[in-house]
Amino acid sequence: MQAVPRPLELRLLLPLVILVPLGFAVTHIAQTGTLDIGPMGIAVGYVGLMLGAHVALRLVGNRGDQLLLPCVATIGAIGIIMLNRLPQNLLGTDVFGVRFGMATTQLLWFAVGLTAMVLLAGRFRDDGVLRHYKYTWALAGTLLLVITFLFGKEVNGARLWIDVGPVAFQPGEAIKVVLVVFIAAYLAEKRTLLAGASAKVGPISVPPLPYLLPMIAIFVIVMLVVVISRDLGTALLFMGIFLTMLFVATGRRSYVLLGLLLFVAGSFVAYQLFGHVRVRVDNWIDPFVDPSDRGYQTVQALYAFGRGGLFGEGLGQGLPTISGHLPIPALPTDFIFAAVAEELGLIGAFALLALVMCLVFRGLRTAILAKDDFSAMLAVGLTVSLGLQTLIIAAGNVKLVPLTGITFPFVSYGGSSLLACFVVVGLLLAISHRSVVDAQIEGRGP
Amino acid sequence: MIATNIRRLSVYLVLAFASVSGALVWWQVLDAQTLAARQDNPQVIATRRSLPRGSIFDAQGRLLASSAVTDGISRRTYTDPAFTHVIGYASLRYGATGVERAWDDLLTGRTDPNPLRDLLNDILARQPDPHDLTLTIDQRLQDFAAAQLGADRGAVVAIDPRTGAILAMVSTPSYDATGFSGDPATAAAAFDAVAAMADNPFLDRGRQGHYTPGSIMKVLTTAAALDTGVITPQTTFADQPQQEVDGFVVNGFTIREHDLGKVTPALWDLSSALQVSSNIYFAHVGLELGADRYLDYARRFGFCSGLRLGDEGRSLPVDASYVSAQADGGCAPFTDTVELASAAFGQARVSVTPMQMALLAATIANGGLVPQPYVVRDLRSHAASGAVTDMILETYGGGRGNAAVSSQVAAQVRQAMIDAVDGPIGRLYAGAGAVARFGISGVETAGKTGTAERGPGLKPHSWFIGFAPAQEGAQPAIAIAVIVEGGGTGSGHAAPIGGAIMAEWLKLIGAGA
Repeated sequence: MQAVPRPLELRLLLPLVILVPLGFAVTHIAQTGTLDIGPMGIAVGYVGLMLGAHVALRLVGNRGDQLLLPCVATIGAIGIIMLNRLPQNLLGTDVFGVRFGMATTQLLWFAVGLTAMVLLAGRFRDDGVLRHYKYTWALAGTLLLVITFLFGKEVNGARLWIDVGPVAFQPGEAIKVVLVVFIAAYLAEKRTLLAGASAKVGPISVPPLPYLLPMIAIFVIVMLVVVISRDLGTALLFMGIFLTMLFVATGRRSYVLLGLLLFVAGSFVAYQLFGHVRVRVDNWIDPFVDPSDRGYQTVQALYAFGRGGLFGEGLGQGLPTISGHLPIPALPTDFIFAAVAEELGLIGAFALLALVMCLVFRGLRTAILAKDDFSAMLAVGLTVSLGLQTLIIAAGNVKLVPLTGITFPFVSYGGSSLLACFVVVGLLLAISHRSVVDAQIEGRGP
Repeated sequence: MIATNIRRLSVYLVLAFASVSGALVWWQVLDAQTLAARQDNPQVIATRRSLPRGSIFDAQGRLLASSAVTDGISRRTYTDPAFTHVIGYASLRYGATGVERAWDDLLTGRTDPNPLRDLLNDILARQPDPHDLTLTIDQRLQDFAAAQLGADRGAVVAIDPRTGAILAMVSTPSYDATGFSGDPATAAAAFDAVAAMADNPFLDRGRQGHYTPGSIMKVLTTAAALDTGVITPQTTFADQPQQEVDGFVVNGFTIREHDLGKVTPALWDLSSALQVSSNIYFAHVGLELGADRYLDYARRFGFCSGLRLGDEGRSLPVDASYVSAQADGGCAPFTDTVELASAAFGQARVSVTPMQMALLAATIANGGLVPQPYVVRDLRSHAASGAVTDMILETYGGGRGNAAVSSQVAAQVRQAMIDAVDGPIGRLYAGAGAVARFGISGVETAGKTGTAERGPGLKPHSWFIGFAPAQEGAQPAIAIAVIVEGGGTGSGHAAPIGGAIMAEWLKLIGAGA
């Protein structure tokens, strides 16, 4: 391990040194008319963490993509500024009797996440652990899901949480990474078989089922547990990740179409069978039918978008709170995008989406440059998990698809989600590092 | 191979992000105006919190409702609980009702009666000016009517038959809405206190109370039968005297007369039958008239569909009154002749609002033309001082009504109703509603009492409808409907209230002495 320079990363992180404290100051002046020094600690802490992560990446000798961390840091900055500007007692954690407010809690999770990211980026050199034990991983992940479903803590009608000491954790977030690892390992191994062979049923070419069966079996089990746990957003996300990776591995659009058809059919059945699915879909079709009850959050989110307009109402000047309480109860998690769009306007919402796109494209670039199929598939899966998650929740906020409760990566409040996202970035940095190093070795080769 | 697929994937991802961006453009730019105009938008609510709101005055310019902005919150004060049901309330927490709701956009100034200025306000995003409203109701009569009802549950609706202007509209019990029309933080306690009160004070009995009318319905039956020529004022039914004793068998069901007291059954003509309030006589009339014509005339008088106080633009809604069961928002066909015969004397499934019954009296008083009732007289510019201004921006009402029956028929019904108050038998009953008994001399009163049976063990509703002055050649100045829930006989309770209120009005306008 040898320290390496990461000059581009540093240069891109430096603006945050000014922008994040400025954002905190602006929201505070807008809300209270005075400049409160207290929360400024969170701003300084945030910038410090990001710069610290940069230094740590240099120290562990990671030569990976230098745009990933700045993208994440800027996206996260928008998130923490928004979270800090909301009533702090809304969410938060009690750890051994000490009460942490929402922004403080989120900052702590940033610290945990960044540590995980740096460790993975620096230490993760041998992917064999992931590749060879793919079934073990998948099995362990599924087991964790089942345990959560059976013994977890129920929040809002879904049992997705498990208590680990003083901290509640959402195993669904971890499964996301594990699932990607499994599918990547499987597809990398069977890719040539899958791409070559295909059976034909009439004019339609269907996937060679025998080759796919083990993977589909695992995937179906995971999906079943997720669906039974009523975690619709995660189900949609997993389906998207699965189909995208299948497409990248085989290049066959027909597989994706077939999968989508099955998904639509399944959704239709779910609509008929489950009340909570019906509520979501009906709300999506017209939330204004019942704007004060069932359609309430969706309608309020649309109002927030409308109020934002082109340039936004300004940081701290929006209406996320009405006489002290939130019009949208799930604002810090499911609807943070609406809050950003309200205060920063269409311009700000576009900027946020552009940052995510930048992150996604750097991730896809990492996949293209990867030296082996597994790394490439892993990078694609991890990247797509971030991209699709953003798309699903953003599209849900703007009523393009039915709303499902998943987080906006790096922006929404939530420790498990944040940690999982940083694990993704850490793995991407590791993959990127290896391809850079390999390229250099080849360049120097005989 | 994988690299190629990833590049293809990236195109799809760009498309997906582009769709989300497109939806953002829709909500944040293209549809933003529509969203901003919706009433439950917190922005609209927040703006309203601090906006001044126009005042509401009675017909003489007395202040009934006004707003003051203190500590950034617009607080509304109502001066007279007798008006609560008409004016309603404008609560930041519970929304608006009554006139406050129907005229909300003008009171806040969100809409300007001048379309050009409305457009200009919109373009310049100007803070609009609030407007004031003047009601057609005179506070003196309103308070008098409320005092007459006193602690009784019931309603009074009084109309100027010539114009349709509402002169009084009272529902008891009432409440003071000031407590929950100010600071939303303290509104709940005041609101819950009213909600917990007995006899549902929130119900505007004049517009939303549904009651069996009993004998006052015979006025409608009479008018319809005379207008179609089925009867004349001289018509008698040969079987009627005996049926007063034995009952009238219709379709196997025996219709029985109510307790006639000291009156001995005889062969009655229309005037006598109305004085005695013979159910048997009017059952015969109803059957002669037939179901189709009965329904047709009911509709002409406004039954079978909702009424509104005001014009197409802004109005207070009045629940529909029915002569038969409800079906598809209107009156269902009568199931059999028993129901028709019973409806003709105001029982069976007849269900009416006091407003509709006042309109029935007003139509007879107005020579057969159905007045178009209205309760807001004009819109004025707002003065911060709280005084009424002379700047009238718009006036309402004055629409000519449709003819329900001919003026000759209206005159015949009027005469029968005068007899019902002043005839040799009638004076024992509806006579209690004569204005002559309340210090007005030389003025005839037309009227009809009703005692609406509600079933065993329940005291009947006490009804009175009437108008005055009613003598030939006189122009009636007030038509009225009074109901006292569970008040017993019409003559005992509602009629004297009706007479007193009409007399009070005649005194106030200086007619009669």
